[in-house]
Formats: sequence, C-alpha cells, structure tokens
Amino acid sequence: MLTKEFIGMIAQAAGLSKKDTEQLLATTNAVMRENLMAGKVIQWQGLGAFEIKERAARTIVHPRTGERSTIPSKQQLVFRPVNAMKEELKNA
Amino acid sequence: MADKLSWTELRRAVATRAGVNEKTAGVFLNALTSQLLRGLRADKMVKINGFGTFKLQAVAPRKSVNVKTGEEIVISGYNKIVFMPEVGVKELVERGDSKVESGKSKVESTEIDPLKKLGEQAEEIVGLLADLGQGPKSEKPEEPVVEPEPTPEPEPVVEPEPTPEPEPVVEPTPEPEPVVVEPQPKKEPEKPKKQFHFVRDLLICVVVLLLLLFGGYFFLRSQLTRWMESLAQPKENSEISIQKSEEPVVEPVVMDTIVPEPVVEEPAVEPEPYSDLITIEEMHEASRLTWMAKRYYGDKKYWPYLYDANRDVIVNPSRIKVGTPIRVPKLTKEQRDTTNAETKARLEALRIEAEEACRTK
Repeated sequence: MLTKEFIGMIAQAAGLSKKDTEQLLATTNAVMRENLMAGKVIQWQGLGAFEIKERAARTIVHPRTGERSTIPSKQQLVFRPVNAMKEELKNA
Repeated sequence: MADKLSWTELRRAVATRAGVNEKTAGVFLNALTSQLLRGLRADKMVKINGFGTFKLQAVAPRKSVNVKTGEEIVISGYNKIVFMPEVGVKELVERGDSKVESGKSKVESTEIDPLKKLGEQAEEIVGLLADLGQGPKSEKPEEPVVEPEPTPEPEPVVEPEPTPEPEPVVEPTPEPEPVVVEPQPKKEPEKPKKQFHFVRDLLICVVVLLLLLFGGYFFLRSQLTRWMESLAQPKENSEISIQKSEEPVVEPVVMDTIVPEPVVEEPAVEPEPYSDLITIEEMHEASRLTWMAKRYYGDKKYWPYLYDANRDVIVNPSRIKVGTPIRVPKLTKEQRDTTNAETKARLEALRIEAEEACRTK
C-alpha cells in the first residue's frame, strides 16, 4: 500500500479531508524526524517506539581473500512495535 | 540521550505545528495507527513517503527441542513487523544526531523528490476537486504545515504552497509549473530513444540473419560437392583423409620419437590424428584404459582413443603388459564431441575393434 492510498484510508477513518490528512502526515514526519535527531525516543501509543540506536562497529572477513576489515559504527533508526501489535499481526 | 517523547508530547507537537487543536491531532494519529494495522493486514506493506516503509515479514516455522524434556517441538511460523526507513531519512540518521544543522540542509535537498511527487499528487487532487466542483477550502493556516522541514524558515514556507493549494494559479505558480513542465520534455526524448534502440536491434538482427544464411549456404554447398566427389570416387576419398591425418602428425615428432612410427606404418588403417600428447604413462597392475580415460579426459567413454593411439604396443587391450608405456594423446574438440554423429560412430568403431582384439588375441 502506497502513501496515497494510505492517506485516503486515514482520511476516511479520521473524518478529515485528504488534504488535511496529507498535511498532518507531513507534519508528523517532520516532528518525528526532529525529535529523533535530537536523540529522543518516540513512544507511539498503540504502535511502538522509534529510536535512533548506534550500531556497533564490527569486523568482517572477505570470504575469498581472508582480508579483515572493520565496518565503522553507525546510527540507525529502529522501530520496536508494541506487543499488542506484534500479536495482532502474527497470524495475519 | 534516552529522553522520551511521550504520546501526549507528540500529539501536542504535531497539533501546534499543524495549527490544529490537540484533539484533531490525536484523532489523526490514532487513525494512522489503526489504518497502518489494517494496511499491513491487507497488503503486508505500507509505505509512507518522507518516512519509511512498514512491512510484514513471514517467519517460517522451524523445529526446536524442548529444553526440559528433550522433546522435539515445532515453532509455528508467524509474521514479523519490519520498518525500513526511507533512504533520505536513513542517510540523515547516519550522519549522526550531533549534526542536526548539516542534516537540515540535507533534508532540503532530499525534499526535492517528494515535492515533485507531491506536486503531481496536488495536480491530480486539483483535477478531482475540479470535477467535483469543490472550491479551495483552507488556505493559509495549513500552508506551513506541508513543509516537513525541522525548523520552519520564512523561505521554505513559501515553497510548499503549491502542494496543498488546489488552485495553483493564484499564488504558488512558480513551483508547480516547473514541476509540470519538466516531465513532459523528459517523456518525449524517451520515446525516440526507445524507437532508436528498436531500429538498431532490428538492424543487428537482420545482419546476423543474413550472415547466418550466407554461412549456411556455403557450408551446404561445400558439403554437397564433397558428397558428390565421394560418390564419384570412393577410393580417392580415403586417400584424402590419409593425407589429412599425416599433416598434423609430422609436427609432434620433436616430442616423442615413437609417435610417428605407428602412424607412418599403418596410415591406411589409422586416419585418426593424435597430434599432441598429454603424457606417457606406464601401465601398472591396477591400470585400466577406461580409468586413464576418465582421469585425463574426464569420461571413460573415450578409452577407445587410448587403444587407438597405442595400437603398436597394445595387442590385447584387456591384457596389457605391466610397464607398457601408454601414450595419452590430446583430444581435439571434434574427437571429444560425442553429440557429433561422425565422432560417435568413430568411437563406436574403435571400441568394437578393441573388443574384437580382446577376444581374438
């Protein structure tokens, strides 16, 4: 399902116009991005948590040459769904 | 670092930024959650532009063992929710949260694409609205909302107008127009390119076909003439083949003195050329021609060639004296090609000959 269709569904469910929904979605994205960049964990009720986590540096071995090299650590955006959602979609 | 942004805080932030009351924002966010669930259940995938994609990933059932009892149990398969941030967002995150400001500029650059898309969408929405006969409802309070920019600046606020505006003619004309104009010239050059490719491919096909036809014609003609000749003079034909076999054989004399002898002696019987040797191997007690063939040629079906190349030393191929040097010739492509009927017949003839020798000698 792509954004356009998704917006339509939200609009219908929330009783808002598509245009308003689109704007609200964009605002939400911006707010979330800002807060994530500020190092905050976003607790989304009924959905889960969004968080920027550091992925530790690790060494890899080139399978053919046996060469070892390090992949530096990096920041990653992770999403942890709440249990209720996990359970609900387990057998979807 | 581990600061939390709670649900109410999020709702409030969205509400203030969007210029709506908290209740509406709450309704929207809840609808988003429920629809996300619904979308995942229906399509196993929900994409949100400017943020990322939620996917449902199936985990296959697997076997495991009950740690207490040692019993085998099956862990049934289930679905897992996976979130993949959009490339722009991912890059932004990777730059590190300490560089929020540099990240900001990044956002602006990545915004170009979404803006275009939004512009297109806005166009469509405008069309729809026009069909329905609806006028523009809300204008200014929502305009700044569209901008997903972290910090709303005076400049970007002007830019996003085109997307929400149902009537792009009034104010925001600068933006949507270039967006609309761009794709048109883009689409046009693509078609001629494709046509050009098509024509080129067609030409290549025709040329290749012509070449093939010519080749086939000449090949058939030569084959026909040869066949006619062989019909007319069957004896000459065998002579020709002998000459052919002698020609390549002359070269390897340098390598081994034994090679030319059999060929020279029995050219009438032996038109098969073995121009090159891989090696010379002495027979052991456990040696077999078939095994040698397997070792050197990869298949034991080629063993008759070994017999053929060593007729001078092998009397009975199933009883070769220990210590006999066996020449292992290199096989040409034609000799290896068992799909070729000629080669197959040749191999078969050699094999029958060798088996005959087994029985009689």
